[in-house]
Amino acid sequence: MSTLHLVRQSAFATNDFAQCLSVLDHQDSIVLMDDGCYNLKHSLMDSLIKRVDGTLSINVITRHAQARAIEISAAVQHIEMSDVVELTFNHTKVITWQ
Amino acid sequence: MTSSYTQEKNDLPPSNGLAIINSKAPFSSNHGKDALDVALIFGSFEQKVSLFFQGDGVYQLIADQDARLVSIKDYLKTFSAFEFYDIEDIYVCQQSLVNRQLEEKFHIGDVQVLSSIEFGLALNRHQHVLRF
Amino acid sequence: MKTLAVVVTTPPYSHLTISALTYVEAALVAGINVIGVFFYQDGAMHANKDISIASDEYQAIEHWQRLNKEYQLPLHICITAAEKRGIACDSIDNDQVNEAFTVSGLGELVELTTKAARLVQF
Repeated sequence: MSTLHLVRQSAFATNDFAQCLSVLDHQDSIVLMDDGCYNLKHSLMDSLIKRVDGTLSINVITRHAQARAIEISAAVQHIEMSDVVELTFNHTKVITWQ
Repeated sequence: MTSSYTQEKNDLPPSNGLAIINSKAPFSSNHGKDALDVALIFGSFEQKVSLFFQGDGVYQLIADQDARLVSIKDYLKTFSAFEFYDIEDIYVCQQSLVNRQLEEKFHIGDVQVLSSIEFGLALNRHQHVLRF
Repeated sequence: MKTLAVVVTTPPYSHLTISALTYVEAALVAGINVIGVFFYQDGAMHANKDISIASDEYQAIEHWQRLNKEYQLPLHICITAAEKRGIACDSIDNDQVNEAFTVSGLGELVELTTKAARLVQF
């Protein structure tokens, strides 16, 4: 039982990302997309990266980050939308935080 | 209704129904009502549906509200019909209540107040999740 | 067979809809059986023929129509959500409803959810 979390909002604007993190399980994966990419620079991300124990994966849609001039970070995986489709079926369900 | 789905369902992992996360306060947007409509239709099709209240969504459960004072149809009253739709699993995030200085005083019964970890585990028991 | 149902709640002029379209197209290209897209809340506005978006902007509705044609992708709009947003669905001709879309009720969402291995909301 693992969940794919699609995070589409900036944590500087809404609590969606914080709510996502509060139910996050260690086998889950996160995809930052749309304004969710801004979370790469949020303090919640720093604490999340410290929490990551190797099983949880954090991904960002490269194009969505590049479009927003967000610096590419080595702490997260860079993926395309086709990878999100694959992740959809590698997890048992998907929750969209928007 | 259900028999026509049996064939397809055999190919799927065991279904544990739909979880609906309510994340918005009740009155300034349509999200609460739109989520309620989805919950009731699943109930009337005898499909398992559970309701989760998190963040500002917890305001939808708080007692003594009166939508009529702000000219809004009081859809929260319909929550009392959940048992007739076999909607039995209603979960609220304790931390969200605490953050908002809210007591565990709700306008419907049988609400389960869960810690963040329990809330996440309860969500995990469902096959699909929608969030409003 | 991997089956997928998608719920779209954002309107055709929202840039969030572009991600929904990109995702659904990526799924179709990957050979996923997308059994239907259900347009709920502001998503129902996609079926409104009278919506006109400047030609140099992203044409979400045209892209849904294209996916419907190329992949026979079923596109369902929620009748209650549509009527609330000024799309007349009850006339016999349904003049205002884009032909690529099927006028459905929330019962269709129940059916899609029951049949799909995954449900993804945008």
